[in-house]
Amino acid sequence: MRKLLPLKLSPELRAQVEARLDARLPSGADEAPSGVVAPEPALHRLLAHARDAARLSRRQFLGAAAAVAALAVATHARVAGAAFWPRTRFFTDVELATLEALCDRIIPPDHDPGARELGAPAYIERLLTSFDRGGAGLYLRGPYSGRLPFSDPWLGAPSARYPQNGFVLSMRPSRLQELYWRAELYGSAAAGLPAELETPQGGPLVGLREIYRQGLADVDTVSVSTTGLPFRQLGTAQQDAVLKKLDSPGVLSRDVRRGGTFVDRVIQHTLEGCFSAPEYGGNRRARGWRMIGLEGDSQPLGYSMFSLRDDRYHERPDQPMSTPNPDEIDANGNLAPKPLTPDGDAIQQAIFSFASIFEDIVEGSCA
Amino acid sequence: MAASSAEDGMLGNRSLDRFDVCVIGSGAGGGAAAYALTAGGKNVLVLECGHNPWPGLDGPNLPLPRHSNDELKYALREYIEPLSRLEPRTFRQRASDTAAIHDDVNLLPRAVGGSFQHADCKVPRYNAFDFELKSRLEALLGATPGLAIPGFGSDAASANFADWPFSYADLEPHYAEMELLHGVQGADDNPFASWRSSPFPMPPGVAMYFALVIAEGARQASLQGRLLTPHTYPGAHNTKFYDERPPCVDCGWCSGFGCPNNSKGSPAVTTLRKALLSGRCQLRYNAKAVRLLNDGGHVSAVEYVDGAGVNRIATADAFVLAASPIESARLCLMSPTPSGETLGDSSGQVGRNLMFHLQTNVSGFLPQRVHGQRGRAVTHGLTDFRGLEPGGDVPRIFDVNGAPGVRLGGIVEFSASQGLPITDDGGVAAFQLPGKSGARFGTKLKNALRDGALTQHLVSVLMQAEDAPQLTNRVDLDPSVRDVFGLPVARVTYASHPFELGVRNFYIPYQRQILELAGATRIFTVPCDTLLGDPPTSHHEMGTLRMGPDAATSVTNPEGRFHDVDNLYACDGSVFPTASGYNPTCTVIAVALKIAHGMAPSPLPVA
Repeated sequence: MRKLLPLKLSPELRAQVEARLDARLPSGADEAPSGVVAPEPALHRLLAHARDAARLSRRQFLGAAAAVAALAVATHARVAGAAFWPRTRFFTDVELATLEALCDRIIPPDHDPGARELGAPAYIERLLTSFDRGGAGLYLRGPYSGRLPFSDPWLGAPSARYPQNGFVLSMRPSRLQELYWRAELYGSAAAGLPAELETPQGGPLVGLREIYRQGLADVDTVSVSTTGLPFRQLGTAQQDAVLKKLDSPGVLSRDVRRGGTFVDRVIQHTLEGCFSAPEYGGNRRARGWRMIGLEGDSQPLGYSMFSLRDDRYHERPDQPMSTPNPDEIDANGNLAPKPLTPDGDAIQQAIFSFASIFEDIVEGSCA
Repeated sequence: MAASSAEDGMLGNRSLDRFDVCVIGSGAGGGAAAYALTAGGKNVLVLECGHNPWPGLDGPNLPLPRHSNDELKYALREYIEPLSRLEPRTFRQRASDTAAIHDDVNLLPRAVGGSFQHADCKVPRYNAFDFELKSRLEALLGATPGLAIPGFGSDAASANFADWPFSYADLEPHYAEMELLHGVQGADDNPFASWRSSPFPMPPGVAMYFALVIAEGARQASLQGRLLTPHTYPGAHNTKFYDERPPCVDCGWCSGFGCPNNSKGSPAVTTLRKALLSGRCQLRYNAKAVRLLNDGGHVSAVEYVDGAGVNRIATADAFVLAASPIESARLCLMSPTPSGETLGDSSGQVGRNLMFHLQTNVSGFLPQRVHGQRGRAVTHGLTDFRGLEPGGDVPRIFDVNGAPGVRLGGIVEFSASQGLPITDDGGVAAFQLPGKSGARFGTKLKNALRDGALTQHLVSVLMQAEDAPQLTNRVDLDPSVRDVFGLPVARVTYASHPFELGVRNFYIPYQRQILELAGATRIFTVPCDTLLGDPPTSHHEMGTLRMGPDAATSVTNPEGRFHDVDNLYACDGSVFPTASGYNPTCTVIAVALKIAHGMAPSPLPVA
């Protein structure tokens, strides 16, 4: 194994990078909507980039200038609706309270935020109301979020220049994508999909909007019949018990097209709302990513920075690519893995056991 | 429904209205064909059924694409994948089974630039041996007492092996051309690679940590008395400023995602862009080809559905199929001749000999965090399990239970989880693990995610093994299921052959040994798709329009033209007679370049 490369960030630069990281994380749905993101002065950044590029060969300069010019165009593009994001209502207050409680039992709060604080309910409402914005938020445009800077092509180190956040730019779905999403949200009948397409796949697709309306009502029906109270008014231990009941076979109806029940939909969308790009409406301040030790999108800096001066790549000491994480190397330079929690360990063991089961089912499938 | 794009659905020279060649598909093969044909002076129309992630691709400056580091966009919302609910496929293992709709019958992305843009762009070449595999193995059988190979000798009727109609030496200039055009990084550190006329255009980039750990394990492992020889993996990602594109920054969103900064040498930013800048190319996207209008021996036009849902006709003097093997064959099957036959099918082989590779994946967990989210997915691998002697020209004879045996597997990739919390840790814990062993919700789920139990610890040794061509492995039209265009969907019939299943069982213990020596625990073999009755998910497709000299046993001739149709060509993996055991894209492109240069000669680029 190779040693850590000698490149070090100065304390000033590190502080700057961290400050910028914080400042560039979008705020959540109900925190001070900022309206339209103001484009940075593209020409200024273009010139700054060109100054660096002037030290490059002419051919390299042309390449770099082309890339920057393209970016400058992107920054002038129209920003889709308001950024971070005024709420487009789908849920009633009661429904939202029920959903918030559900999300918080899926990813519960502890010393790290729970799904509600991370914005999963807002993410789900935003998904269900996508066509109130013409479907523009179904696919974030990119290419960069502005959370990390460009690297300096001469030095092969992080520069002080950050790209505009292109994750808030509009991108309309293609005709087929729009058809797909209208069926997903409103049902295949409302989207106009022909029966000859739907019947062989198991019949009409029920839209997610209807599934959430009905599913949240079902949650309270089961909750009241078991405990006498609606789900949102229960303590967390009782909520866990009701959720377990909702998740048992036969309690909620199965979605013949998607498989699973309403509980599966909420778990999936809660995971999405906690760990997808914040511009989708959840993962507030990217705290979902930070909680699990990921940076999320890493462009344009990435994890290897090519230096024209040295004609080689440099790595980031804080996020090394070819060596172990710094916090798993002890004082003597030896590998010192951090132990998993018993829960994480159990999941690894379960994956191992699960895969090994197949050998019993089909001889030779796993050898 | 009205077209939802404000653009006109077109790239390139909009004023062209008469075309020498129409290329159907803009991916690895179609991009290469469009490049070589325009370089040879032809006016080319490209039809692409997907949308365009590169607005302005035909402009003077290469634009940044609408690609981004975004798990939701690609892994869950299928930004460039086909939407299988609208365009399903059906699958069965045997002709006697009833085919059922399946989510992913080796679906390949649909967008300008094709599937290569969402691959991590591993581009090893095939071996010299591969182009004459059939005759070489037959000779070996005759010269080696006691040697038996499934699909050969007395068992030959169970498979349909064939030599390629040209040699590695014939194709080598186009391998070199491919590597120059797409910008390939690599090193001469693989003892099993066949000879090359020129060095890789760029040196290898930074190694990924887990790959170095696995390579260290591999160096201590041996295969019947010979130590294994891990090597860097050739890939089309810039490691310098190259051809108007920046160096790769190893962002980690490579396999399964589009490249945000164009450092990935995918067709859109290489061959296709050069074709568009030539002034002799017009590309229409959201344009789904549905039928070739023909008189049985000649194609006069292609009918397609445009982005607004309107059926249109495009004419050209010649037509090139490059829609991927399943879709290229499907287009022939949807294009009857005036007498009601399948176009180009006098051999009866259209859609047959479909090959996918048999992937064998052995995985385990390392105690330290391996941060597979940093880097281009695969930086190292080994080729010992292709089963050849060093030099890549002679099969190695193994001792198999005291008898001589040939075990032609394939290249091995060292890989790891890419650190995707929603699909990997979250998805596996909440949905894939059965019953009480999983973590549907609550603190268990949260802890598994915080630990990165899977995403930060899972490592794999994955072999891309050759699968035997079989007449019974095929694509045809499903008799009852139709897609959103009202067209019959592709029905795939595919089962594994003992040729590859024996190889799989032979190498699994060695794959396990590598991981054990690398320090992994809880090592398991990922269940084999085909043995469980599922379609393979290799996303490698080959065969269906096999090329060969004999019109009775092949669909296309050695120049890539249909034997039966005087102006119809194939320029994708469909023409491959055999699959070899390497990621096929490099060879798809080299073959497409060879065919297209044959249609319109022009000088090859020089380094």
